[in-house]
Amino acid sequence: MTRGFRQLTRLLALIMATALIAAACGSDGDGDAAADPDVNGDDDSSDVAGEIFISGSSTVEPVSVRVAELFEDVAPDVFVDVEGPGTGDGFQKFCSDETDISGASRAIKDAEAEACAAEGIAYTEILVGIDGIGVMTNTANSAVDCVTFENLYGLIGPESEGIDTWAGANDVLGDGLPDAPLDIFGPGAESGTFDSFVEIVLEDIAEERGVAAGARSDYNPSAEDNIILQGIQSSDTSLGWVGFAFAANAEVKLLEVDGGDGCIEANVETIASNEYPISRNLYIYVNDAKAAESPALRAFVDFYVTDGLDQAVGEVGYVPLTDAAKDEVRAGWNS
Amino acid sequence: MAFTTIGDTNAARRVEDEIFRQGRDLKGSGFRVLVFAALGLSILILLVLLGQVLNDGWSVLSERFGDFWSGTLRSRSEDEKLGISQGLVGSFWIAVFVGVLAFPIGISAAIYLEEYAPQNWITKTLDIAIRNLAGVPSVVYGLLGLFLFVKLANDGQSSLYAGGITLAILVLPIVVITSAEAIRAVPSSLRESAYGVGATKWDVVRSQVLPFAAPGILTGTLLSLSRAVGEAAPLILVGAITGRLAPRDGSFLTLDQFDDRFTAMPIVIVGWVQESGRDDGFAAAAGAAIVVLLGLVIIMNSVAVLLRNYFEKKRG
Repeated sequence: MTRGFRQLTRLLALIMATALIAAACGSDGDGDAAADPDVNGDDDSSDVAGEIFISGSSTVEPVSVRVAELFEDVAPDVFVDVEGPGTGDGFQKFCSDETDISGASRAIKDAEAEACAAEGIAYTEILVGIDGIGVMTNTANSAVDCVTFENLYGLIGPESEGIDTWAGANDVLGDGLPDAPLDIFGPGAESGTFDSFVEIVLEDIAEERGVAAGARSDYNPSAEDNIILQGIQSSDTSLGWVGFAFAANAEVKLLEVDGGDGCIEANVETIASNEYPISRNLYIYVNDAKAAESPALRAFVDFYVTDGLDQAVGEVGYVPLTDAAKDEVRAGWNS
Repeated sequence: MAFTTIGDTNAARRVEDEIFRQGRDLKGSGFRVLVFAALGLSILILLVLLGQVLNDGWSVLSERFGDFWSGTLRSRSEDEKLGISQGLVGSFWIAVFVGVLAFPIGISAAIYLEEYAPQNWITKTLDIAIRNLAGVPSVVYGLLGLFLFVKLANDGQSSLYAGGITLAILVLPIVVITSAEAIRAVPSSLRESAYGVGATKWDVVRSQVLPFAAPGILTGTLLSLSRAVGEAAPLILVGAITGRLAPRDGSFLTLDQFDDRFTAMPIVIVGWVQESGRDDGFAAAAGAAIVVLLGLVIIMNSVAVLLRNYFEKKRG
């Protein structure tokens, strides 16, 4: 009888021993980027070493990951970790000095900039690419091809609470929408895509009408783009919005949008040229003090504004900047 | 009293019916169909899930199984270096942390509660508290881990040990409860006979109670290990990485990765499912990763069953 017990204790002892050894050896951390010897000249990045941590927008995350993958071939001793909890969460970490770079799917807000200033963190904003926001409906919906900002305000704005048909929006603002049931799917209020949509499409109209900016609260919000797309596919007369990169790959109908200059189709060209009215800029924010200290971080950002803008942005499905805009970004970073 | 009616002819006929004409017991057969349907439905749901995941992930598993095994987190699904090795490393170490921290502490606490603790209101309150802890949503443990092991202990940087300790704490109450249950199931006659021949309390616990309870304890602890390996929510809070973990030097067992950022199988899956909207090839990768994680959990559970059978046979 004791044999069974002895074997059990032996098993536990083995596991425990493994871990004790592990704990004993595991206490020394890796070298910090700041501790590395300086490298003269930014052109040759093959011998820089260090660690870089990037947080921020989940939309920008794949761009930074792709840049890091390409950079690995150039500078194998620079370890770049990337996470994407969201633009707001990212700035919180960035302004607590926890990250080197923060991705953002919108420009930094005043409150966030103040938080950074309070911690004494100076930063450089770098525009890396453009992401359009696609307004979409079910592929079976042939009654609507183009919506104006007024239509969208009537459908999704703060005054449309309770409206459950497309035609109902005509009573609020805009006209010409057909009488059909309305099922709205979109990102939740914590998302950068939600913020951008409200800012670009709804805010000005709401201000004119003396209403607090925002969206109606009775739609189907989701943090996951896939769930929004599934919602659009589930109803013949659905309406929703999501990042262009996501919408372009899915079985949904992208609506043309009229922001005052006629109906514009959402595609790579119209977004890059800013003709398509609902697009947002993707940024990274670089911690200045850390960049000054760490040659690895400088080399990485140098790489980001060159090969990153040329190659990575397009490869992961976003719209690259025009050549003129790229030159401006590079000039801004190098100064 | 019931035995007095055994001679009743009516009863005799009923017994005969029960044996030779099963169809007569309508309620009984109805109940039987119902419970069978319940079982069938559970299995059907499981099979549909499994089938769908296999279907999603099959292209990855069949075409590039080796690369997938050794690959890392990447930005594009067609990247040939895309794979789960970093998730496997993280999950392996999390399992070790749970084995090292939660098992000995949990089993010891259970022995104290069942064998040594006085039967009073304090013990009862403790018992209830532990049961409640086992029902606390896992995100709450994630918040605890975020505060203690990331914000306080490590200046806001997430680390493998933060994830490991958090999950060890998460399963600790489950280990205590299942172990206590197993110890409680030891027949009191066993203890009494040992005391009868002059054994001390320590002798009884060591040579009678624990060997008898070992199979039950093992099953419970190994099942809690599967639970820890499958948890995603607390790890998201503690800061497991979804985007990219730079490939560090060293292998599976390199120990200085304890201080580094980490990822784990469930986190890899969550990340890829999110990415699949941008790049739908990630859906297949996520499916394949789910199949691997399921396989690991099934292996762990089977080991639990085998070990239990082995020890039960020993116990004889």
